[in-house]
Amino acid sequence: MQRFVRAVSAVLLAPALLLGAAAIGRPPGTWGAYTSASEIKIGAVLPLTGPFVASGTYFKQGYTMAIDEVNKAGGLDVGGQKYMISLTILDDGSDATRSRSLVEKLVTDQHVNFLLGGYDTSLIEAQEVVPDQYKIPYVEGGGAASEIFKRGYKYVFGTLASIYNMGKFTMGFIAAQQAAGKLPKPISIALVWENTDHGKDYETAVLEEAQADPGAFKVVLNQAFQLNGSDFSPLLQQVKAANAQAFLSDAHLPDFITMHRQYLQAGLYHQFISYGGRGPDQKGRQALGPGADYLVAAVWWTPALKDPASQLFAQKYTQQYHQVPDWFQALSYDTARVLLLAIREANSLKGPVVRDRLSKLVMRNSLLPGGVIRFAPDGQIVAPYVMVQNTPGNTVRIIWPQKLPESRDPILPLPHAQ
Amino acid sequence: MFSAENLISVGIAALLTAGLYAIMSYGLAIIYGVMKVINLSNAGFLMLGAFLALVYFQRWHLDPVLGAFVNLPIFFAAGWIVHRLLVRRVVTALPIASLLLLFGLWLVLQNLALAVWGGEDQSIITAYTYKALPVLGFRIPVTRLIVFGVALVVLSILHFALGHTYLGKALRATVQDPVAGLLVGIDTEQINAMAFGLGTAFAGFAGGLLTLLFSFNPDFGGTFQLKSFTIIVLGGLENLAGVTVGAAILAFAESYAVLFMRASLQNVIAYALLVVALIVMPGGVAQLLSRRRT
Repeated sequence: MQRFVRAVSAVLLAPALLLGAAAIGRPPGTWGAYTSASEIKIGAVLPLTGPFVASGTYFKQGYTMAIDEVNKAGGLDVGGQKYMISLTILDDGSDATRSRSLVEKLVTDQHVNFLLGGYDTSLIEAQEVVPDQYKIPYVEGGGAASEIFKRGYKYVFGTLASIYNMGKFTMGFIAAQQAAGKLPKPISIALVWENTDHGKDYETAVLEEAQADPGAFKVVLNQAFQLNGSDFSPLLQQVKAANAQAFLSDAHLPDFITMHRQYLQAGLYHQFISYGGRGPDQKGRQALGPGADYLVAAVWWTPALKDPASQLFAQKYTQQYHQVPDWFQALSYDTARVLLLAIREANSLKGPVVRDRLSKLVMRNSLLPGGVIRFAPDGQIVAPYVMVQNTPGNTVRIIWPQKLPESRDPILPLPHAQ
Repeated sequence: MFSAENLISVGIAALLTAGLYAIMSYGLAIIYGVMKVINLSNAGFLMLGAFLALVYFQRWHLDPVLGAFVNLPIFFAAGWIVHRLLVRRVVTALPIASLLLLFGLWLVLQNLALAVWGGEDQSIITAYTYKALPVLGFRIPVTRLIVFGVALVVLSILHFALGHTYLGKALRATVQDPVAGLLVGIDTEQINAMAFGLGTAFAGFAGGLLTLLFSFNPDFGGTFQLKSFTIIVLGGLENLAGVTVGAAILAFAESYAVLFMRASLQNVIAYALLVVALIVMPGGVAQLLSRRRT
């Protein structure tokens, strides 16, 4: 019996010891050294099943588009040598634990040189412990909570402006509409937010603005809700009881769809409604139909932007995937492009060198409003938002900032038929 | 903080939710009552019911309520087949065997839906999806009213059938004492198959109705499953009439508790009630009432 146990132990331990020996013998930052001489391996773990499947699929499309473009042009020039890019994408099923272990698997089994991020904040927070451990640069465009960048990781970079800034931007927009006489001053606000760092960022920003200007804003309800909730009816009863003039909710796409559907079914009405960055998403509009009309959202990108780069991207995306892109696809496309640019400018495939390049990088042909991507010392981008409003007929228009030539007057207060 | 109007409004919403909870828990209760099997695949059939209602709606513009009725015979047949092919073989084994089997079946159904419809959220929007009826100054969502009304009618028919037909009486007798049922000539094997079919039919029916209220994807049903467990434990595991009481307790507890606590803790109420019921009144409300009488 003892002999059997020893034999089994030997069989189980041998691969682990071999792997451990290989790991000990390998200095950090060289995990991609197994790659072939003319190929750069990039890995990403995305939610291709589970609650975030729609967003995960969009990110896959954006990453693929950016990398295909480089490969079709003959590869990426690094130090005078052309490298083809291979992209390995694994599915975490929208599960944080699986997400983290799959990112590690990409590094240790697939020997990727660089990492692209997953989607949403909770999954990014699970993934982001891996890059620093192996000194592999990681650029993400799917997590916007500022908490992601407060943990001191040096290899994590994000192309989404923070949710905190989104909250501030939304409150700034409301203040401007108060000044224009389109919304009452002071305005009472029912605030609900998902119980994650994403939601807390939004809550903090709204409360700070309300405290800073009590003559303009009065938060009469402040409630957190469970991410991926199935029934928001009791919460909406509270919203109804609060009798507010504005309804602000920070929610991800599946929760936005469920909550707004139940909001409309309950016959609620507010003069101003915003679900943070949700509303103009094609999936949301399909799921809610005319119920999504007139919603206002602060987004990182919209196909309504008329700059040439955005129009070209929207055109190429529509040709390839036969649908109109949302910010998900644009941000993931730019996220992959910013990583590739950093590799090219670093003239190296070494993780620490590319990481240093990313920290100083200025990408000037970005799709984002303003056209520039550069990272703050904590790794998160500093970039502006645009405020958009859904209009009937599945159209979206930019309503803020006014300085944008494509900006139109918002329809506020929201029509009662909403 | 809350006016009487608010509290009444919450009460109405809770009552309507109770109808929804009852209809989605009945299948689970029937199967457990007759076979003592916890049907973990209930959520999978609920989800499939929603997707089939979507198919009827997209292909033939069939209203989801009619779709739910169309689901009844289809899912009854599916349940019957699942019983004959799978469940029958493990029903006398240790409970873990049926638990694992039906959990596996749930995963198979989820992956089947994933392969056929993809993982994205789907929804059905009808002409009355966003309509509300003004009743005595309160706005009542038409969809909730329909779900409640249909649930009430279907459950009334079921109660009548259970009390006045041979099959219904045989089913109730098997719930009370399967051995005695066998001794008086009831074909318990057939009753088991019928119970599993009926339970599955209710899951498919509830799934079709839920499309009026929620968007859905292959993961749909998991949260409702937990609530259904709580409801049948509250009602008394082998007490079919208790399901309605359990559904009402959970719906009212959730709706009113959220007025005074963080909404993010909404699901905790179901867990807490489940724990309390298992410890304090494992026989549910029915046992509590019978204790008082004695």
